Amino acid sequence: MIGDNKFSIQHKEVEQVDCLYLRGYLDAHTAPVLESAITDIIGKGQNKILVNFSELDYISSAGLGVFMAFIEDVRDSGGDIKLADMKPKVFSVFDLLGFPVLFDIEKEEKTAIEKFSVKDSATRFKIKK
Amino acid sequence: MIKGKNKILNKGNIICCCGDFSELYRIRKFIYKNAQLFGFDENESNKIALAVDEACTNLIKHSFNLDKSKEFCVTIEPSTLKFTIKILDSGEPFNPLQVVETNMNEYFKGYKKGGLGIQIIRAVMDEISYLPSNIERKENILILTKILS
Repeated sequence: MIGDNKFSIQHKEVEQVDCLYLRGYLDAHTAPVLESAITDIIGKGQNKILVNFSELDYISSAGLGVFMAFIEDVRDSGGDIKLADMKPKVFSVFDLLGFPVLFDIEKEEKTAIEKFSVKDSATRFKIKK
Repeated sequence: MIKGKNKILNKGNIICCCGDFSELYRIRKFIYKNAQLFGFDENESNKIALAVDEACTNLIKHSFNLDKSKEFCVTIEPSTLKFTIKILDSGEPFNPLQVVETNMNEYFKGYKKGGLGIQIIRAVMDEISYLPSNIERKENILILTKILS
């Protein structure tokens, strides 16, 4: 587990998908921890990333910015960052700015992991330039 | 304006902090608690705390340039239906209202990364105003208001 008492991440691999389990509060103070965790995964050549929010109680724009920073490169390499199991108060922050248009946000982790085996599952979330 | 050192005053309607992102948690708790006392529900209180977090994050980043030795205060001034939050600092003036409003479709097309904080503040709060420091007043004041409906 990485992080401090306000925010932590557990990382495990499930069916060749790198799963990150977020816990606590994701803000400008703690966002670098998430950034580092995703950088490590991508650095190992992996591009299927599932982020489970079930234990996350708070997200600010600093947290949203981390996902924005990686999503284009990950999708260009044929992978995706899928988000799952958000509490309503966390989802409402994504929703406030229209992020469900760009990100694949699933209610359950299982569904999100299954979608990684579907070819081009991220296509409908790609924004035409 | 600010007496004492880091992580100080937290009496009633004012909280004073140093320019460190680790203070955001404490500020959110302070805003959330007072918003609930004022009469906002859990959802609205969370959003107001989020907007203030974004304002303070911008302040630490842009006015203080991440200088942790600098300090700022957040005050709450409730009236009958208006929940007013003032953020006072002595850093470089940074007027969030001068930041051009983001078109989210363009934002997503460009896979941009920053600038969402102000968008959140605009989406959540009913009134936003900014008073930069001047000869008579040494502090910048960002005023955020949410109306209880």
